[in-house]
Amino acid sequence: MRFPEILALALFACVPVAHAGAGAVRADIAARLAAAHPGVAPADYALGAAAFDDERRAQLEANTPAPEAAAILAEGKRLWTRKFRNGRSLAQCFPNGGRRIAAAYPQLDAKSKRLVTLETAVNQCLRSHGEPILEAADAAAMGAVLAYVRSLAEGQKIAVRIATPLAEERFEQGRRLYFTRMGQQNYACASCHVHNAGKHFGDTALPAAPGAASRWPFVREGRAISLQSQVRECLERMGAAPFPAGSDELSQIDYFLTALATGQPIKPNAWRPR
Amino acid sequence: MRAALLLLAIAGALAPDPVSAQEPDGLALFVRPDKGNCIACHRLPGGTGPATKSDIGPPLDGARLKGWDSDKLRALLVDPTRMVPDTVKPPYGRHRILEAAEIDRLVEFLRALP
Repeated sequence: MRFPEILALALFACVPVAHAGAGAVRADIAARLAAAHPGVAPADYALGAAAFDDERRAQLEANTPAPEAAAILAEGKRLWTRKFRNGRSLAQCFPNGGRRIAAAYPQLDAKSKRLVTLETAVNQCLRSHGEPILEAADAAAMGAVLAYVRSLAEGQKIAVRIATPLAEERFEQGRRLYFTRMGQQNYACASCHVHNAGKHFGDTALPAAPGAASRWPFVREGRAISLQSQVRECLERMGAAPFPAGSDELSQIDYFLTALATGQPIKPNAWRPR
Repeated sequence: MRAALLLLAIAGALAPDPVSAQEPDGLALFVRPDKGNCIACHRLPGGTGPATKSDIGPPLDGARLKGWDSDKLRALLVDPTRMVPDTVKPPYGRHRILEAAEIDRLVEFLRALP
């Protein structure tokens, strides 16, 4: 094989990041992205594809706020404030009626040692009051609730810090899933969103991993698409069976991505084309 | 003898084309998301297929593929990880994304690029 061919294939390669603690992983990913895209501010990763594509950025600005977001937020507010049969509501399960809480999720429950995502917290509230839970993948109901409660934290900086051995363990589980090749296409999530972030898959620039947790849900064709739903869509494109909605695996990926985004402001409900 | 030749000619005309209408040609295999979907990562020379912004893999043209004979290209498509373990190119043969005959048609398509 000639050198240019080797070089081309090497550039096409996907090199895994060895685990060395959450701080080191964050720094390594940040350094890779900065080296590949020195002209893109890390704060702009939250724009998704638009961070790397001027045409897409202009489309996003022309669709800000997302035209269909108002209807989703109205439905989310209705569900959030709806009285349960016992007179309580989702809003009453959370401090300050749910204002400025979203940036602290997923949380790690020390007693059960399990991750509590925002979806889990919503369903824990419903269950504790004898109400039917919402399907994590149901964009019309859970998606609207998430859109609303995330809108109550707009601009708040994500605060998911990996400060205990158990948190490191959950972060590492998420990192490993994110960097593991899966499915018929043999991609890892990181193949696109770390090693090739900013490059074009067809006509779409690939969003960078550290921006994913600040910008969800996005609004596409009138529906609020959560972070976990995005991961499930990606897994389908990879030719892999998606982890079930609400599964531990999706919670771990959510935790990993949110920890990568710690310090970035929440920017939910942005327009996204089909 | 003449009758036998005539029969052979008729049989040849009636035999199904190896690349029938149901079987996607090289360009279709390159472009279709349910087949190779190579276009998602590689750009094609102008006029040979859809124009895209794809830049995950190198743009493909005759000059790029010079020196890649059919066997080498076929081996790359069947399992690129044997040449470059960390590549993100899908293992089209090993993971049965494409059938062997489809990989052959894709190789012909790539070898014919200007």
